[in-house]
Amino acid sequence: MTTTSPPTPTGRGLGRLLGRQGPRVIAPLVSGQEIVLIAVIVVLWLVLGWATPAFLTADSLRPLLIEVAPIALIGVGMTLVIVAGGIDVSVGSQMMVCGVITARLLVDAHVSLPVALLVAVAVGALMGAVNGVLIAWGRVHAIIITFGTLNLFQFVGRQIFGSQTVNGIPGTMDVFGRGDPGQTLGVPHSFLLTAVIAAAVWWYLRQTPGGRHFYAIGGDPLAAELAGIRVRRRVLLTYVITGALVGLAAVFTLAKGTTTLDQSIGAGQELAVIAAVIIGGTSIMGGRGSVLGTILGAVLVQTVSSGVTQLGWPSNLSDLFVGLFVIIAVGTDLLRQRARRRS
Amino acid sequence: MTTAAPPGTNAPESGSGAPAAPGWLHRGVRAILTRRELLLVILLVVVLVWMTTLSYGGYLTGPYDPDYLSAALVDAVPLAMLALAELLVIVSGRGGIDLSIGAIVSLTGMVFGFAHGLWGWPVLAAIGLAILVGGLLGAVNGVLVAWLGFPALITTLATYYAYKSLAIVINDQKPISTPSIQSLYSMTEAVEIPLIGRNIPNVPLGVFTFLVPTVVLVWLLLARTTYGRRLFAIGTNDVAATWSGVHVAKTRLLAYVLAGVLAGVVAVYVTGQFASARPDAGTSGNGLALPAITIAVLGGVAITGGIGRVSGVLLAAVLITWLNAGILLLFEGNNGSQFQLLALGAVLVFCALLNAYTIRRYGGTR
Repeated sequence: MTTTSPPTPTGRGLGRLLGRQGPRVIAPLVSGQEIVLIAVIVVLWLVLGWATPAFLTADSLRPLLIEVAPIALIGVGMTLVIVAGGIDVSVGSQMMVCGVITARLLVDAHVSLPVALLVAVAVGALMGAVNGVLIAWGRVHAIIITFGTLNLFQFVGRQIFGSQTVNGIPGTMDVFGRGDPGQTLGVPHSFLLTAVIAAAVWWYLRQTPGGRHFYAIGGDPLAAELAGIRVRRRVLLTYVITGALVGLAAVFTLAKGTTTLDQSIGAGQELAVIAAVIIGGTSIMGGRGSVLGTILGAVLVQTVSSGVTQLGWPSNLSDLFVGLFVIIAVGTDLLRQRARRRS
Repeated sequence: MTTAAPPGTNAPESGSGAPAAPGWLHRGVRAILTRRELLLVILLVVVLVWMTTLSYGGYLTGPYDPDYLSAALVDAVPLAMLALAELLVIVSGRGGIDLSIGAIVSLTGMVFGFAHGLWGWPVLAAIGLAILVGGLLGAVNGVLVAWLGFPALITTLATYYAYKSLAIVINDQKPISTPSIQSLYSMTEAVEIPLIGRNIPNVPLGVFTFLVPTVVLVWLLLARTTYGRRLFAIGTNDVAATWSGVHVAKTRLLAYVLAGVLAGVVAVYVTGQFASARPDAGTSGNGLALPAITIAVLGGVAITGGIGRVSGVLLAAVLITWLNAGILLLFEGNNGSQFQLLALGAVLVFCALLNAYTIRRYGGTR
């Protein structure tokens, strides 16, 4: 069994050093995984359109984009976190805190939407900073710390809820909502904004030295440190950005919901987001991944879950498919890694 | 467990001859940090004294007495058993962790419910089936992680999704609570211990039928068998273990299978505790995996693998259970369960930071 021989810890770096890597440092515009993803999404859409004729219409695709937006937006931040070798399982609880604070501000304090949005983003960034400081300076594995802060943030969120729902969320949210005020040329504003932010982060990750630093840290933090990158600050930054995006995504989630907010906001979001990032081709080991893949991954996850409901299957079955997709994605990532090491 | 105990916090031991010997304070801190059981016992005493004081002062909504503590052990049984499952998986190294364990509890619980509640299998056969299914689900994790080299974190996240979904779909979201399942509730009744039972409070039966045998078996496995030594070897350094002739993949695979088996046993217990097989038994709210991992880390299991002891995990489970039981009395109504979240999160972060510091300073807990 050759596959069971333990890969030496230096294997990846060594392979890269000796390997086939040409002068090209930056990956091509669209990677193989992304092309496969696009193909899978197209096939799924065609199959669903054939099975339920209502699927491939604007009235069916627009809700899909609205549902995708928060997951994709948090996924953009999560891509940074995972590329830099970390993980954040507390985003669901962060979303609960941001959501309830925004709702309370809008309902009880009657602040305007832009102010509430800014507060949500700031609160999210603050929670991200808590994660980042504990992980970077406490030198503890990210999964343990964010499991802990998941509970802490949930406590904070539930205390603000005070074991009741927030009612009467005003119509000022419509600019991100499902109705006509929430779209331009048929495209929902929340998805539009997500696309713009994703494009900016995509450019930053690909084209600027600062962006490449995240990949260096994910590849080998020690080497990155020795190369003069301020690893701790960079790691902190990934969690702060994720937190800020969670704040914005919480506003989107409020806007697509009803006028009542209950404590279930954000529940299970961390799994959906991480699944989207991994399906998008980002390596859980860090050092590789792209924002474009994450957006496609989020679209795929959402397509599966809305497809399952439209086919009349039990809606809980979609989690099974998401799980299978994640395993397939991780498997292909491993195969690619092995191929690279062998060459 | 038999290693010579370090000086501990007592007796400054007149350092007559030894020049520049570390002071008793330094040694005390070192002992508390490197001997996790010592820290846990101290924390346990602090919690008990604090809560009892509050109880006598009348600040609690109910008495925090031996009877209450003993009854609270009902909740410690599944937590401690799942924490032991996480101990096996985390010790196996290479980022080992099992997020799917709560979902395995849900799914095997439903299978057990079908077998015993609907198909009318005898209890023992149904328990056997639950163990088999649990082991099988664990084997799926194990094959992916140990044989194919998938990262454990994301693999068990994916299987968590899959198992959870199957558990809910398998009976169309409905729990199974036929009379034969409901009669299992007697498993969790409190019983009087023979001979000495007159003087101490009654203890939940599950402690004897489920927890004690599991603890003894896992301890024997880890401390007294070749497999246990191999598991610590691959967790510490799997390259070195390979060169010394240990079949790393097989050893690690078995750790995931055993974790699944333990989850299958927990499923039986939880079914009895709720008197019904619930499709979300191990996944509702934060699920069972999160507290189990928290208790394992609190008990001194190093997330990097190769370090961990049964006694630490057991003490941690009792500590968390009695702390939670106290918090429930400290606050009115729903507030208590929220402060349990706070306590769980704070304790986890605190212990993780402590573990990291201990490893940097002293090379880890013993």
